[in-house]
Amino acid sequence: MAEVTAPAKVKKPSAINKRKNPIYMAFIYVICIFLLIICLFPFWLLLVNATRSSIEIQTHAVALIPSKYLQNNMNVFKGKDFNVLVGFKNSLIISASATILAVYFSSLTAYALTAYEWKLRDGFFGFIMGVMMIPGQVTAIGFYQMCYKLHLTNNQLMLILPSIAAPMMVFFMRQYLQASLSMEIVESARVDGAGEFYTFNMIVLPIMKPAMATQAIFSFVGAWNNLFTPMILLTKNEYKTMPVMVSLLKGDIYRTEYGAIYLGLFLTVLPLIIIYLLLARYIVAGVALGAVKG
Amino acid sequence: MGKKTISYAKWGYIFSIPFVVAFALFTLYPIIYTVFIAFTDLKGANNTTPHLLTGDLLKNFKDVMATQQFKISFGNTWKIWMMNFIPQMGLALILTAWFTDNRSKIKGQGLFKVAFYMPNIITAATVAIMFNSFFGYPIGPVNDILMRFHIVDTAQNFLIKKSNGQGIVAFIQFWMWFGYTMITLISGVIGIDPSIFEAAEMDGANRIQTFLFVTIPCIRSILLFSLVTSLIGGLNMFDIPYLFLKGGPDNATLTTNVFIYNQAFSGAYLYNRAAAASLIMLLIIVFFSSILFYVMRDRDAAKAKKLRKQAIKQAKLKAKEVA
Amino acid sequence: MKKFVAGMLCFCMMAAVATACSDNNTGDSNATTAATQGNDGGNVDETTANPEDEGKTVINLYAFTEEVPTMVQCYLDTHPDFAAQYTINKTVIPTTDGQYQPALDQALLNGGADAPDMYVCEEAFIIKYTQGDMSSYAAPYADLGIDIDAAIEEAQIAPYTIDCGTNPDGDVVALGYQTTGGAFIYRRSIANDVFGTDDPEAIAEQIGAGSNSWDAFWDTADELASNDIAIVSSIGDMWNVVKHQPGTSSWVVDDALNIDPNRESFLDLAKTLIDNGYCNDTSAWQDAWFADMAGIGEKPVFGFFGPAWLVNYTIAPHAGGTEAPEDGDFTQGNTYGDWAVCQSPVGFFWGGSWVLGNTNSDKKEAVGQIIEWITLDCSTTGLQYYWANGMINTDHYAEDGLQPEGTYTSDSVASAVVMAMSDGSSDFLAGQNMFEVFTPANEFASGEGMTQYDESINSEWQNQVGYYAHGEKDRDAAIADFETFVSENLGL
Repeated sequence: MAEVTAPAKVKKPSAINKRKNPIYMAFIYVICIFLLIICLFPFWLLLVNATRSSIEIQTHAVALIPSKYLQNNMNVFKGKDFNVLVGFKNSLIISASATILAVYFSSLTAYALTAYEWKLRDGFFGFIMGVMMIPGQVTAIGFYQMCYKLHLTNNQLMLILPSIAAPMMVFFMRQYLQASLSMEIVESARVDGAGEFYTFNMIVLPIMKPAMATQAIFSFVGAWNNLFTPMILLTKNEYKTMPVMVSLLKGDIYRTEYGAIYLGLFLTVLPLIIIYLLLARYIVAGVALGAVKG
Repeated sequence: MGKKTISYAKWGYIFSIPFVVAFALFTLYPIIYTVFIAFTDLKGANNTTPHLLTGDLLKNFKDVMATQQFKISFGNTWKIWMMNFIPQMGLALILTAWFTDNRSKIKGQGLFKVAFYMPNIITAATVAIMFNSFFGYPIGPVNDILMRFHIVDTAQNFLIKKSNGQGIVAFIQFWMWFGYTMITLISGVIGIDPSIFEAAEMDGANRIQTFLFVTIPCIRSILLFSLVTSLIGGLNMFDIPYLFLKGGPDNATLTTNVFIYNQAFSGAYLYNRAAAASLIMLLIIVFFSSILFYVMRDRDAAKAKKLRKQAIKQAKLKAKEVA
Repeated sequence: MKKFVAGMLCFCMMAAVATACSDNNTGDSNATTAATQGNDGGNVDETTANPEDEGKTVINLYAFTEEVPTMVQCYLDTHPDFAAQYTINKTVIPTTDGQYQPALDQALLNGGADAPDMYVCEEAFIIKYTQGDMSSYAAPYADLGIDIDAAIEEAQIAPYTIDCGTNPDGDVVALGYQTTGGAFIYRRSIANDVFGTDDPEAIAEQIGAGSNSWDAFWDTADELASNDIAIVSSIGDMWNVVKHQPGTSSWVVDDALNIDPNRESFLDLAKTLIDNGYCNDTSAWQDAWFADMAGIGEKPVFGFFGPAWLVNYTIAPHAGGTEAPEDGDFTQGNTYGDWAVCQSPVGFFWGGSWVLGNTNSDKKEAVGQIIEWITLDCSTTGLQYYWANGMINTDHYAEDGLQPEGTYTSDSVASAVVMAMSDGSSDFLAGQNMFEVFTPANEFASGEGMTQYDESINSEWQNQVGYYAHGEKDRDAAIADFETFVSENLGL
């Protein structure tokens, strides 16, 4: 990525600024490396504990050196209903569909809130903000009740379709568009005879790529890690997601297979890391890459 | 020009339809239900027929306001939020400044940016378990380290002290969310036209000046997003305080949402009071968010909006004239 | 670079999945073989998808672990006539994340084809389903076609399990299989050093077993303390006993909080433990607590209060070895073979599961047959005999099916008749037959005086007692804060 941005600046007074402050730079690196360690440490812990036996974990909850029980922990999955492939598949179906729907329709709603002048616009935006602020503990009861009453349990759509209305993402997309959408582009598309829907898909969406990438990551992580809703609504084995399966490993307090749980947690987090790294190039990219030039 | 914009208004409605439909189908009922039961006598796990309160319709709200725990939890929530929000936002801004500074290209910044978000990938439940085991007493990693380096002589029971509980919860929140905030801000900076930075550099602005007077104003709308969502997330804080110490020690990490959860699920199933407490929190959050919106409002945009409204009025007048 | 890392991770994941899957496949094929041998087609969870099951009546089972589903599978395997008519659809939701009760409640409230016909509850919330808010859904065993009084009489079911499983009308609506009556589990080497004997009866007398008082226990604690030994590991170990002390009135009487003197005295018990160094001040399920089981904690710990499962599933795996140390020295981190059980000063139980039938079910007969086999059958082909003799294991049943006696660890069960027929001896207890202690312990425990609020009240009481015992606040403040918590959260 660095190569892409480098050619832009080679000259000018910045060169003087750059050399100036080795202490300042050292300070930056020390802070960053410290943060790097505390951010990656738990992943090492997960990995190490995935290779330890339950007894080892219970005796010393934290260890830095892997042990030799990975295969044993893997074997624990056998006796339980822990099918990694099914878990991955279910989690992927729900998280990917929910993310795609949320990102697309939130962008669309945000575009409606930014690009057009309509009477109810400010009211609608205020309403969306209000929805976002409601504490979730009680509304969750209403949602479960609705699903059970209408016998919509064990239906993956109940975890996917609600994400079309994602208030926080709409809010973000709106803020992003306010800063980076210039109506001239839209106007010029109109002059060229493009339809509104076409303009949104072909011209506005590409502008929103960095915003979509960050929100896609957040949304995917959120959907993937969601435990309570799938646990209550998807009770059949063929629908169970990864976090639900890991949670099932806990079972009774006196017979908890900690090693297997950590292995399960590690397997749960692995796809997230991959998805994240794939999407991260939009965040990691230098300033120039995401530029919205008119 | 003005006329053209008006004729596109219907697209605003059309593009909002999917959101509205999904909302109406999946979220509307739970919300109406919550608002409704706040005014009823609904409690008990097996109660399916709530009755509107006769007499004092606001009884549940008064009951909630009268509880000591709501007051305590309200104070805790603000305290813990401030303790994590200020360092979190500060660090996120500093990191954003470092990582988006064209002049001091930090090596490996891709790695840093990616890694700092990573704590957010792990579920709150896992984080809570990990931190719990760090502070194990009398045997545990933190105690082992402190004793090995003779910082303390005897093992410390950290999690029984109120201030430790709040501090650790605030730290966990900070640790989990600073990368998230940083990424959000960076994505805002990426959206800025680079020629603006080039111009600032040409004008001889130094790093700090560029960041304060060019970057920050350009990402104001994203900053507003971060502030508002952090406020909402902070006042609705639940996962870590609940999973880590169940609101303890001695109510020190009892946040309002843990209080609401306790009202609903401690055994008496006081759904009505829990719903009332939720609505009280909603009002409070709306109030403070509105202040943020007002403070951070874009004065130019506000002016532009006034002008637009006038234009609309005029257009309407014209339309009438035509009629 | 990033692509490379992502690629590597992808590869790792695929490898992991592949390994896990191959394991799973073998697991499944084994399961099928085992199941076929048991005259039934397929795995429990696949029954709905299995063409063989078309036309069979579906029984919905809600549980929080695999334990009862495994037992029901075993019932199907051993009762081919029944299996020809019925198939089980299980729903397993763990309690650890607090989601089992909301899901079960919604499923019971809203009925329909997916509503549970049978469900399982544990100690923490059994009262809610037998005597509390949800008790109207629990079908009396008599309505399930069980001759309940005669069956209880014949099997000699532990009384505390009946207490918990009786609804306000006096009908039995829930019974268990495993019993969790508690005893004192102590280290023989310490008993020999300090008291000159490790005989369970002598130690029982030493600690005042069966006296329903703590006097002799404190004397013992004092004697141990003078040898720099703690009598128990944590305050919580004693709370498990005090919690269900026989003769204790319930936390809530006439819609008001009621602090029974027995429970209030826990303040003093805890303070005594801490101030006199009678415990290591650990917390259950944490590193230091387990260290005390291997004898490598701050001070040696004499014993733990607990039921049979604590012996088999908790202390034994953490004893630091799988056989007694050769030199007979139990102070080097291996306490295997150094343990014995004796009766507790105060009767108690800790944990356990109960099985219930839904009163709205239209398959009550069938549900009753399964429930009777699990909770009341005291023959050698009943579930409890299998359970007490280590013939069935939840984790291995899918592969191995029923095994000969003694294959797995044996556990205490509800029927005293079955306990008398079964062998609870183990090397871990140096040959002692623990059932000789746990059968009277089951009798000794009381299931009275419980409410559906107990889970949250108990945990707050333990918290406040902890603050008081550690000098964080005084006694009156602890009680006052506790009262506030309870009245505000329960609306009393």
